[in-house]
This record gives sequence, structure tokens and C-alpha cells, in this order.
Amino acid sequence: MDEQTNVKVKILRYNPEKDKKPFWQPYEVKIEPDATILDILNEIRWKLDGTLAFRRSCRSAICGSCAMKVNGRNILACETPMHRFKGRGLKIEPLPGFRIIKDLVVDLDSFFEKMNRVRPYLLLDKPIPDKEFIQSPEEFEEIREVCICILCGACTSSCPSVWSNEEYLGPAALLKAYRFIFDSRDDAADERIDIVNDKNGIWRCHTIFNCMEACPKHIKITEYLSRLKVKAVENSI
Amino acid sequence: MLYKRTKFFDFNYRKFIGSWAWILHRLSGLALIFYLTLHIWIINTLTRGSEPFNEVMTFLGSPLFKFLEVGLWGVILYHAFNGIRVVIIDFAKGSLFHKKLFFILTTIAFILWVAGSVVILTHIH
Repeated sequence: MDEQTNVKVKILRYNPEKDKKPFWQPYEVKIEPDATILDILNEIRWKLDGTLAFRRSCRSAICGSCAMKVNGRNILACETPMHRFKGRGLKIEPLPGFRIIKDLVVDLDSFFEKMNRVRPYLLLDKPIPDKEFIQSPEEFEEIREVCICILCGACTSSCPSVWSNEEYLGPAALLKAYRFIFDSRDDAADERIDIVNDKNGIWRCHTIFNCMEACPKHIKITEYLSRLKVKAVENSI
Repeated sequence: MLYKRTKFFDFNYRKFIGSWAWILHRLSGLALIFYLTLHIWIINTLTRGSEPFNEVMTFLGSPLFKFLEVGLWGVILYHAFNGIRVVIIDFAKGSLFHKKLFFILTTIAFILWVAGSVVILTHIH
């Protein structure tokens, strides 16, 4: 077993039944140097303070539950080793831009409601084929990278346009719109463009790139949103 | 009761190159609006004849305004060149190399700023 080190962690706590405002609570954790942020949170919850609330599930960067803000940037707790923030101590906060339910747990209802607004499923005019939908590798390449989004909310939560306007669809929902608009099997591109081409839609993207910096799957979100903008312009000519 | 923490802007969120480019773009935009208002107000003195206009112009010829002009030239250049960057990002796949774009375009803007400032500062009437 590796030698354990002491880590100073500050976590933003908030219990709606007791606290008026969130406050910083310091912890000191003894843990292996290659531990992830999630390991540290588990260590605190299991051994030091059972009242700490946070979401986690798969601990392998695929469920998208444990997105949170650590030392000023959104990350997935399970895939981020603590040595990435070497020597600075850790400050762990819930995702910005969302309302806090308790401690690191935020209310993602608005996030999924926005996702539903772009109708994230295939809409067809043609009859459903007997066997499967045929899509060529070239056609799939258009949407391949976008399909790996795990809906963690790190991008939408990092976007200054979302912070100042809760109605803005945000990068994740717009990326989902891209995923279906550019899907060769889908027939409702025009309808989705109309939803996206709105004052709270694609035009609130000011190419700040926070979403791309935050995405744990390294999706080039801004590039896809730019393609959506071009598509929206083409459609309105 | 859910707590809304981010009121308007999350000030302690880490700023990357893209964030700085956007923040400076907004600030330079505001500065330009301020300048244009001032500009229209000064031109407006012409409607009262040449005398008030000349008075204002002599006032604006003072060294303080020379330095403000140098600042204005910088603000215009930054706003213009970052504007070009945004257009390239949206219409020419600039997202894939936006950091390089930022450094290249601000370097060009900086060179033009130095050159222009020399002209402005050495041209004292």
C-alpha cells in the first residue's frame, strides 16, 4: 500500500433545514496520493462526517452523477486524481448555476427540462424499417463525438450565459439538438432548428469556451454549436 | 427550499483564455459605446456654430486626451480583432484552434497599437 498523505479539503456545506447560507467546512483527510476526488469524498462520508451529501454512482466516468466544482473548475470527481491540484489544497463546491438541494447535490430538473425541449429522440416522416436503420460510417462520423455526452451537466453549469439567464438552453441541450439535427435518419431538423433559433437558444452562445474546458469527455462543444448557428442561418435564408 | 447561489456571474470560476477574450470583448464594447456617445455629443456642438466646436476641440487637444486617444486606439483594435476571431470561430471551424487564434490576432492588434500610438503621440499640433 502506498504511503498515505494528509490532504486539506474545504467543502461548501448547505443544509436547507438548518442553514440560511452555504458555508465552508474544513476537513483533513489521510489518503493515498493517487486518490481521486471521489475517494476523498467517500473517505469523509464513511469515516469523518456521515452528513455530507453528494451524488455518485459508477465511479468510472460514465454515469455523469459526480460533476462538481473543484478549485474553480467543473470536473467529474471520479476521474480526477487529486494530484492534478497539487499543493493547493482542495476547495469542493456544488456545480455553479444550479440551485443547491443539499451540500454538493444540485437540482438538475431545469437541465433535463431543457434537454426535453429540443425533443431528444428520432422523429420520422417515413415508415419505420423492418430491420434496422441504415447509417453509413461517414454519416455517423458527423455525430459520433456528440453521442458520447454523458449528461453530467458540467458544461451547462460552467457557461456564463447560463449563469446570467436561466432560460438559456445551455450547451448540453444545444449539443443534443445538434446530435439529432445532423443525424441522417432524423426527419425533424427544421422543427428543432426553430426551437434552437430563439432568443434563449443558440444565439446566446458567445463562444466563451468554458463548456469545452469543462467537458470530461473532451467534446468540442463550441465547434458543434457553431455548426448549429451556420445551419440556423442557412435555414432562414 | 433550494438555494440559488450563482446570482449573475460566478466570479471565482477559473478563467481560461476563452473567458478572458470574452470579458475583454464585453468591456471594450462598453468603452466603445461610451466613446461613441461622447463623439456624437461633441459633433453636436457644430449645430451651434463653429465657435463652440473649436472650443471643445482645443480642450480635446490637451495631452491628457492624447493618452486617452492611445487607449481608445487599443480598445478599437482589440474589439475589432477579437470580433474577427469570433467570426472565424463561428464560420471557419475556429473552435479547434481558438487559443492560437487569440494569440495571433492579439499580437497583430498589439503591433498595430504600438505603431498607431507612435503616430498619435508624435503628432502634436
